[in-house]
Amino acid sequence: MVKKYRNFKEIGDAVVIYSDNYINDIEGEKLEDLCASYLDRGFTRIVIDFSETDLVNSIGVSILIGIIEKVRDSKGRISFSGLKRVNHDIFSIVGLTKHIQIFDTEEDAVNARARQGMVTT
Amino acid sequence: MLQTDLSLEKLLFNLNTLAELGEEITSPKDFTRVVKSALYMVMGSFSATKGVIFQFDSDRGVFAPIASKGLGDVGAAHVKLSKETASALTKHNKPIDLKKGEHPVETLGEAAGVLEKLEARMIACLVVKDELLGFIAINGKFSGEDFSVYDCQLLSVMAQHISFSLHSHMLLMRLMHKYNENKGLYENLRRIYYDTIHAFAASIDAKDSYTRGHSHRVSAYSAVLSREMGWSHEEVEGIRIAGLLHDIGKIAVDKTIINKASPLTSYECRELNSHPVVGYEILSKIKFPWKGIPMMTRNHHEKVDGSGYPDRLKKTDIPIGARIMALVDAFDAMTTDRPYRPRLSFREAMDEVKANFGKQFDPDVVQPFLTVIRKEVRREVDNPTIVPLLQEQLDSVSLNRMLEGFPVA
Repeated sequence: MVKKYRNFKEIGDAVVIYSDNYINDIEGEKLEDLCASYLDRGFTRIVIDFSETDLVNSIGVSILIGIIEKVRDSKGRISFSGLKRVNHDIFSIVGLTKHIQIFDTEEDAVNARARQGMVTT
Repeated sequence: MLQTDLSLEKLLFNLNTLAELGEEITSPKDFTRVVKSALYMVMGSFSATKGVIFQFDSDRGVFAPIASKGLGDVGAAHVKLSKETASALTKHNKPIDLKKGEHPVETLGEAAGVLEKLEARMIACLVVKDELLGFIAINGKFSGEDFSVYDCQLLSVMAQHISFSLHSHMLLMRLMHKYNENKGLYENLRRIYYDTIHAFAASIDAKDSYTRGHSHRVSAYSAVLSREMGWSHEEVEGIRIAGLLHDIGKIAVDKTIINKASPLTSYECRELNSHPVVGYEILSKIKFPWKGIPMMTRNHHEKVDGSGYPDRLKKTDIPIGARIMALVDAFDAMTTDRPYRPRLSFREAMDEVKANFGKQFDPDVVQPFLTVIRKEVRREVDNPTIVPLLQEQLDSVSLNRMLEGFPVA
């Protein structure tokens, strides 16, 4: 069953969260709260789709790292999708691309089978 | 991505972060929020998962956490540094890689244990003018990479930015502390000032058993009337004080004259009537924060037709405050018992005011005085002042009847 809302879409045990156009402190915290609430509700797969995101600043990076840690602590899986070039570069600079699965589209992320190894596009 | 592209991107990302950090620390946001954002920026720049900013708490002599991330509750994680360690860190003033154990890590002592528990890898001191205000501690990079020389330089610049924010905040807090201290002292002085004036007023009234509370009533009536006339808060305070002190000259008048029930001799009359001038001479030597108190005291027995004393001034030559006090002083004298006669009823007092309207009393003062009484009787004011002090009940209907026939000013 698929439930689609403006900021997220629930597909079975997975949820796709659509991030805003600029991930700074306020938007980052909203994202953090949303992920935490899905983990609390038992969702084990979280996909953050960055298709609408033009820029992630250092605060956003810090919050995303916190989210990744939290999902991993909960034995869940997290992946990113729809990254624009600039954001991919930023994640690459801070080393995130080596530690998280990144997909071209949210469909790819949702349909991907669980992989142990970290793969980047 | 090519390595050269990545370096350029990294440089731009870090420059953008520094610009945002500069903007953040100069923003008018709440300090806690600023520090938190600053820590997030540092952590985001080095992909650290755990970080904390400590600030020196001079009251407790320890460095206490003021912002943290990824560490749960670190409220109790205080770091105590010896003077020597603080001095070594201040002198070093560069980010320190705790893993490498280079100088001045060996001076940390017990603090090293606390930092280890927090999984701190790098610390950057927050120093302004050779004063160690605090430090940032972050763990290793999420990517597992080592901290490069470039990273250390970036951390150092970020720490400098945060130091200035911390320093400004500390100066502001010190200033606030001083301000509150001075405010407290000022409040104490003000209380002493008022208490002294009240004590004076009580000592004036104590000379005459009949006039107990007279100065306080004249003070309260003058205040409420001047407020009705649109005076400012400061001006009202001034006349309130003048009301308390208006009879201070009676201190120099013999008690037997003040309390005499039979008519006064001309000498006694002169003695008693000297009190406004004596009061003026006493009060004119005091530098009051309010204007006109000595003159209000001197002229509170003047009459608008020029038949009063001591200066026989006519209406506009009499200070307005003195004209207000002339009315409320006479009104209180009429509505309280005196050695030479029992008190008049409110109606009788009003008849006297009416009879002397434009002669003894200024119509411009009488009209607002009547307005105050009307408002109080109709319960249009929250804290009535005059009516509760009268020794009789007044209602709206009888008041209207009593005030009939008052000439229009």
